[in-house]
Amino acid sequence: MGRDLSFLLPEIVVAVTAMLMIVAEMGRAARLVLAIGLAGLAVATLLTLPVLHAGTTVFSGTYRIDTISGWAKLILLPGTAAALLMARAEIAGRAREGSLYALVVLVTLGALMLSGAGDVMVVVLGVVLTGLGSFALVAFLRDDAGTEAAMKYLVFGAVTGAVMIYGLSFWFGGSGSTLLSDLGRLRGQPLVLVTGLAGLIVGLGYKAAFVPFHFWAPDAYQGAPVSIAAYLSVITKTAAFFALAQALRDLPREAGWPFALAVISAATMTWGYLAALVQTNLVRLLAYSSVAQSGYLLMGVVALGASPAAVPGIVVFAAAYVAMNLGAFAVVMVVGRELRDLDGLGRTHPVLAIALVVFLLSLTGIPPLFGFVGKLYLFTAAINAGFLWLAVIGILNSVLSLAVYLRLVVPMGREPAGALAAMSAPFLLRGVIAAALMATLGLGILAALLPG
Amino acid sequence: MPLLTIATFLPVLAGLVLMVLRDRSARVAHGVSIAATGATFLLTLAIWARGIAPGGFAQVEQITWIPAIGAAYRLGVDGLSLPLVLMTALLFLLCAIYSARIKEQAATYVVLMLMLETASLGTFLALDGLLFYVFFEVSLVGMYFMIAGWGHEERQRAALMFFLYTLLGSLPLLLAIIGFYLGTGTFDMRAWIGAPPLSGLAAMLALIAMLFTFAVKTPAFPLHTWLPAAHVQAPTAGSVILAGVMLKFGTYGLIRFAYQMTPEALAQAGQVVLAFGVVSAIYGAFAALAQNDLKKMIAYTSVNHMGYVVIGVAVAALAADPRIKVIALDGATLQMISHGLVTAALFFLVGMLQDRAHSREMADFGGLLGRVPWLGWAFILSAFASLGLPGLAHFPAEFQIFLATLDTRPWGVIALVGIVVTAGLYLRAIATVFLGEAQDRWAKMPDLDLRERLVVGPLLALTVLVGVAPGWLIGMIHATMTGLVR
Repeated sequence: MGRDLSFLLPEIVVAVTAMLMIVAEMGRAARLVLAIGLAGLAVATLLTLPVLHAGTTVFSGTYRIDTISGWAKLILLPGTAAALLMARAEIAGRAREGSLYALVVLVTLGALMLSGAGDVMVVVLGVVLTGLGSFALVAFLRDDAGTEAAMKYLVFGAVTGAVMIYGLSFWFGGSGSTLLSDLGRLRGQPLVLVTGLAGLIVGLGYKAAFVPFHFWAPDAYQGAPVSIAAYLSVITKTAAFFALAQALRDLPREAGWPFALAVISAATMTWGYLAALVQTNLVRLLAYSSVAQSGYLLMGVVALGASPAAVPGIVVFAAAYVAMNLGAFAVVMVVGRELRDLDGLGRTHPVLAIALVVFLLSLTGIPPLFGFVGKLYLFTAAINAGFLWLAVIGILNSVLSLAVYLRLVVPMGREPAGALAAMSAPFLLRGVIAAALMATLGLGILAALLPG
Repeated sequence: MPLLTIATFLPVLAGLVLMVLRDRSARVAHGVSIAATGATFLLTLAIWARGIAPGGFAQVEQITWIPAIGAAYRLGVDGLSLPLVLMTALLFLLCAIYSARIKEQAATYVVLMLMLETASLGTFLALDGLLFYVFFEVSLVGMYFMIAGWGHEERQRAALMFFLYTLLGSLPLLLAIIGFYLGTGTFDMRAWIGAPPLSGLAAMLALIAMLFTFAVKTPAFPLHTWLPAAHVQAPTAGSVILAGVMLKFGTYGLIRFAYQMTPEALAQAGQVVLAFGVVSAIYGAFAALAQNDLKKMIAYTSVNHMGYVVIGVAVAALAADPRIKVIALDGATLQMISHGLVTAALFFLVGMLQDRAHSREMADFGGLLGRVPWLGWAFILSAFASLGLPGLAHFPAEFQIFLATLDTRPWGVIALVGIVVTAGLYLRAIATVFLGEAQDRWAKMPDLDLRERLVVGPLLALTVLVGVAPGWLIGMIHATMTGLVR
């Protein structure tokens, strides 16, 4: 017991932090709530480092302390801290400001559980914990758009969650165990395997927003505060992929599920970018772009168990995605929600413009940026697993994605519109953008630090 | 001293320094630009002085980068890359001198140019597949912003088309590189060259992917359509770098990757590649003939000239006799250098003409030779070089290519039609623009000033030198090509 708890220190710290934040919020001390949150996240991140290479499980195999969960903490905790700062810049002074911070940290706790899941029950727990908090976050603004978005999100989440639990019960029936490591026993029971997997894909696919479970994403992101849209688009999404990776790497590669997921992957990236191509609202555009990015992450999931590059690919791309997507959203928070708000940005705010260009090129996968390293691993994994056609589709979509992202770059060179010149980035957002920029630029070159 | 690394990164470092300088006026920016490119050129001369090793790479510099997947920072030089590196450094220096007249956002322009130089040198010097790809792609980004920021009327469209087209072109190369990696477990290009990792269908697929990439870049018919748009809209220095340096990425890759890493597949597909080369050469010449815009005309002659390089590589793959292979590869490599020198001069001259007249239409001019003799004679000399006149740079290259073609696949010499057509179109251009009746409206056109002569002079001198005495250059290329043919 004591041994198990020592490995769980980061999670415990996050949980305690969330409690303390709620207590502080009772005193309506929003700044204190934020400070506790940031400090807790920082401590939890540092506590992760000693157990990064532990490679063990705790509580009789139900929770994993391995490469995925370790790196998930290193990615999700700083990402959450950045999202908190972005939220502060957006909603400072509003009523219930502190509850939003507390909810964000609680949702992140759920995301950590998803990433470390060694048991289907932990997966379910993680899905519920992230889901409940997220609905409230989306509805935070209490206006019509926010309420509608949260309602859609909630109904969609309730249905997909139920389907997931139903499907997972088949795995329990087939393997006689709720442990993910026992999924190997499903070998030779293709029907049970596929039914359970279908449930899991519905539940986690909703969370990760891949086609055809993505419909809620653009609406929810648009209705929510931009910082919450940014948070949901990176933290809960990548956590869902970590959970998929935990579950599927023990699943026998039979009954054609890799192929089915490959088809979903291809559809997701294609649909996401095609839809993004016609958006004029920047939040919706980034929402569809993040749907498409899910397709790339799925390439890594497809190769699980067949290529040694699959798990590193998911981890590295997730890290890159968190940095570059948060950065892009942060720039949108500064500039405005519409595409035309970018007119002339390159002339009035060259540094901000360069930052956005770097984030967008990294999302496209242009070397030597961080996003390229992630895509390199994912393409390698897909080809290694025998899915050359998927890599080819991924490449064609990269060109499509460039067309999407250049739509943001082109207006920046135009003559500036009137109001832009006076605009200046809030201090907190500047910090977030700078940090995301350093990660996007630097970690591509310092890729040796990442898991192989 | 790691000269290769210093030469590669000196330009971009100078660019970064410029970005943080307090005074970023045009004067300072161009001063930094000329100093940095000049120093880089001197460094490449020092690399040349250190020499190359026959049958392998010399002056290798290596640092681990992503050890988990066997990618490292590896640079090295041989007789294929060294001439291209020298030419690249020279062209960037001349571009820096020529561009000193640009006043609009000069600092940003200079930073982009310096970034492009680093990317170009890195592409030729990289010995690691991943690193090569990184430099290869970074050059696209630099060129996109160059065209979009400082181009002519339709620049946004042309820049967009250029970026999308060439990104689509370069991504298949990434697949091929991943294929080589999965076959060997390393990104070391020397390992891929030493023992070609793929065979059979995998090798053919990798070759097709690479041919697509390099055909877009070279550009070869029918994947050349981005080139005229990009060239016409690009600023003069952009055109010079695009034609002089970046097109060579395609033909360099053709030899370095396709020829060296999938030799058997290329031999099997040699006839097809040869056919594409021949069609490109002839098509490029005829398309150039149809142009009235001088810049577009020169852009299309690039398709023609690079077609000969493709022919050379294809013949080298097809030939049975190692001596013929070496002749073909020598010719192909020399053709890259000749094209770089001659086309750069032509683009500079057309740019200078446009600076004066704000027009590139041939019909707008006439009898300019009397008004601007320096510009006129420089253009005539470059045009004669471009059409392959003996004694000028293209002749020794094209002669060797056709010699090898005649010996291996005699039907390939129908590409000679291209030379005839090119001769016709250049003579027509000279006649319309520089001869004939002088027009009054150009009576005040000034001739080339000192800065402009300084830009064109070295190129013309080298054009003649390579034409008359190519031995120093061919010797360098030949030493490597003999070792490269197995």
